[in-house]
Amino acid sequence: MSNLVELNNVCKIFRIPHERRNTLKENFLNFHRKVKIEDFHALKNINLTINQGDFIGIIGRNGSGKSTLLKIIANIYPPTSGKVIVNGSISPFLELGVGFNGDLTARENVYLNGVILGLSRREIDKKFKEIVNYAELSDFMDMKLKNFSSGMQVRLAFSVAIQADADVYLCDEVLAVGDISFQKKCFNTFHDFKKAGKTIIYVTHDLSSVKLFCNKTALLDHGEMLNFGETEEVVRKYLEVVNG
Amino acid sequence: MKENIFTKKNLRILKEIAVSDFKVRYQNSLLGYVWTLIKPLLLFAVLYVVFSVFMRFPVENYQLYLLLGVIIWNFFSEATVVALRAFETKQSLITKIYFPRIIVVIASTLTSFMTFLLNMLVFFVFLTLSNIGFHFSFLFFLIYIVELYFIILALSLILSVLYVKFRDLSHIWEVLLQVGFWLTPIIYPVSLIPDTYHRFIYLNPLARVIEYSRVVFIDGYIPAFHLNISLALMTILIFVFGLFVFRKFELQIAENI
Repeated sequence: MSNLVELNNVCKIFRIPHERRNTLKENFLNFHRKVKIEDFHALKNINLTINQGDFIGIIGRNGSGKSTLLKIIANIYPPTSGKVIVNGSISPFLELGVGFNGDLTARENVYLNGVILGLSRREIDKKFKEIVNYAELSDFMDMKLKNFSSGMQVRLAFSVAIQADADVYLCDEVLAVGDISFQKKCFNTFHDFKKAGKTIIYVTHDLSSVKLFCNKTALLDHGEMLNFGETEEVVRKYLEVVNG
Repeated sequence: MKENIFTKKNLRILKEIAVSDFKVRYQNSLLGYVWTLIKPLLLFAVLYVVFSVFMRFPVENYQLYLLLGVIIWNFFSEATVVALRAFETKQSLITKIYFPRIIVVIASTLTSFMTFLLNMLVFFVFLTLSNIGFHFSFLFFLIYIVELYFIILALSLILSVLYVKFRDLSHIWEVLLQVGFWLTPIIYPVSLIPDTYHRFIYLNPLARVIEYSRVVFIDGYIPAFHLNISLALMTILIFVFGLFVFRKFELQIAENI
């Protein structure tokens, strides 16, 4: 199974009502008027094949559909039409700290987060030290998470997320927070991932890191895939698009 | 899209969410878990004073009778009210990772179920203090607990998934619960109601659960076979319907919440 992820003619349409009616009263008062619904084509006919060991970058302007694409691959949104085939397990770090709860301590959150990402409590027990050391937060594990700074939260979340054992990792702008030294550490981990032959789909605006890691890159614009192929070429095309 | 919901991984997620929610629910309060006991007991105390001192129902062991009704009703109303907003409270989770959505609702109802079990402990304390001895019919209550849970889960599935599209539901449901409290034989015995209305009373599965549980504990015998069968059938019917409604809307939860 070299085709890990395959997207065939995937479209995603969000229906955006121009006047949102959520309540009964609004429905009663306006029943004679039809709500104007606009279809927003977030993704148009996307075809994409990702092989094992690929490090795929996805670039594009704001609102071009990058995050929607990741959410479709992660099975969070169903596609409006088309087919998504995934042969393997997925670990999304769409936003770090999935399931984090501010009222629990950092320690409890490591377990909560880890279990949601697919680990068992016993596995987390074994990796706990490693997670804490990686995050450089060993003095704060009994503090409630809401008292953490956002950088600390991201560090903790990233440390847990990289422990999840998956075939495909989805990363959405995960490195935007965190200080330089931690970013460096993350990049080292990415290098290790790459060497270990893991598959990563990486959404970012940081073109230099795309050039550094990604063997293939996809360029999205207004929901269309303009280009998919060698990173150097796609990045050049992107700069052309952006600069008019 | 058929998938196995009860994989090891999903069960772990379920347990983790349910337990951590239970922790958080009472963590920031001074009395912690004690609140889970105080709330229904307070309601019980007020009702008891009103309906055994000021007005009297011709019921033996009225305090146990009332307490059991209040605890079961409290479980029902609390569980459904919390589950209704389950997707809203877990928004950050379901928009960022995929796992079967039904887990969110099951976890929410399980959290309430833990509270219910704590409340039942109080009931058992009262039961031991009363002059009612142990009957083997008590064991039948386990069946009623299961049926009660599935009725609650079914309603929670429907409410939670409809709430995503229709936010008025929280208010509507609160009103319905208030009406339901008086239409269900919680504070009064069914025997006070004219016979002609009994069929309507027993259309309410909760009325059956409460009445049969009382028979099992206080009267010390097991309700007739056909009564148990009809409650079981009702439960299955409601649950299948709940599952059907949930399946219909489940895919759209993440983008509409």
